[in-house]
Amino acid sequence: MGAKLMAFGIYLPEFVLTNIQLSKDFGRWEPEKIESKLGIKERHISEVDETAGDMAFKAALKVLQNYDKSKIDMLLLCTQSPDYFLPTTACILQNRLGLKTDLCAYDFNLGCSGFIYGLAMAKSFINAGIATSVLLITSETYSKHIHPKDLALKTVFGDGAAATIIESSNQDQIFEFVLGTDGSGKDNLIVSNGGFRNAFDPLVQEKTTDSDNIYSDNHLFMNGPEIFNFTNIAVPKAVEQCLVKNKMSLDEVDYFIFHQANKYMIEYLRKKIGIPKEKYYVNMLLTGNTVSATIPIAIDDALKNGKIVKGNKVLLCGFGVGYSWGAVIIEV
Amino acid sequence: MKKNEFVSQLSEFCEFENENFTLETLFKSINGYDSLAVMSIIAFVDENFKMSLTASQLNKITDFNSLVELIGKDKFEDE
Repeated sequence: MGAKLMAFGIYLPEFVLTNIQLSKDFGRWEPEKIESKLGIKERHISEVDETAGDMAFKAALKVLQNYDKSKIDMLLLCTQSPDYFLPTTACILQNRLGLKTDLCAYDFNLGCSGFIYGLAMAKSFINAGIATSVLLITSETYSKHIHPKDLALKTVFGDGAAATIIESSNQDQIFEFVLGTDGSGKDNLIVSNGGFRNAFDPLVQEKTTDSDNIYSDNHLFMNGPEIFNFTNIAVPKAVEQCLVKNKMSLDEVDYFIFHQANKYMIEYLRKKIGIPKEKYYVNMLLTGNTVSATIPIAIDDALKNGKIVKGNKVLLCGFGVGYSWGAVIIEV
Repeated sequence: MKKNEFVSQLSEFCEFENENFTLETLFKSINGYDSLAVMSIIAFVDENFKMSLTASQLNKITDFNSLVELIGKDKFEDE
């Protein structure tokens, strides 16, 4: 028994926020400088009434255009911006998508590592004989978590959704995983208020970071330098462990697709690990950092542009909020 | 690395626009000193001194001199 990735459906919201617009709105940071440093020119932002569930639905419709939906017996939704506290958004999607009720469906709350964890769960359920055809959706609307005056985070993050089908197969094309967690980093990427630890505060005070960015405890806070430190340690180690577990050398991997955090960070990781430029995906120019959707968006793009072809072995690595990280090698 | 080379190489690495920095230049006075510049400092120190600086350590630095002290004066060559 094995599992393989079958198809991708990508949805990006209609509204596009450009560097030019951000620069105009905030009166600082030059558009060209944002693009050269972060590798982002524009990002898609969901409408006020457009949720991660809506985006997941639209991404799923795209992938199901060419797939018999009656075969889907598991639906996994990765999001940190669910439609409700309860019920689970995945249950709502079962009904909206018209999927059969003999279906295992649930959400899981992870950020930039979410796609890797989703693949691990899909493979596990398939290999255990519980599922045969998994619809894995990663959908995120971080824009709704970001303070309207927070230029830094508005620049980095974009909204997006990706739907992926993973099917049982005689030939296993999803190989060995490395998964990691370190909750000591929880305060470095967090929305503090709105859960049951700290209630949403309607009178919350604005706070200013050392880099003059404004946020509040009701909104997303990111300590960029600490996240950078975390990735510099965790990602090279995860890649090394993943290669050992898969009994492969760096040279034997055809292509590397990491979570597209920002160009600066992932270029630094590439150099630190020693991956040749031509074997490394860097493209978040028109999407920004779409959290758990970056990796499937990248795989889909790399396939369409011929950067990877059938039979290639691709190392995927996701890392971020939690801290949480994961790596796996797949055959496309 | 000599301290004055450190100032010029770090400034170039961080893409600070003005070239005339000294050990006494305050980071916060530099146009372009933002969270990305802090990441660049972390990266530069990691590459050149094999040291991982934390964000809270970097919050306490004021000028290039204070960064030299944080890294350790013994890591620098005499002028």
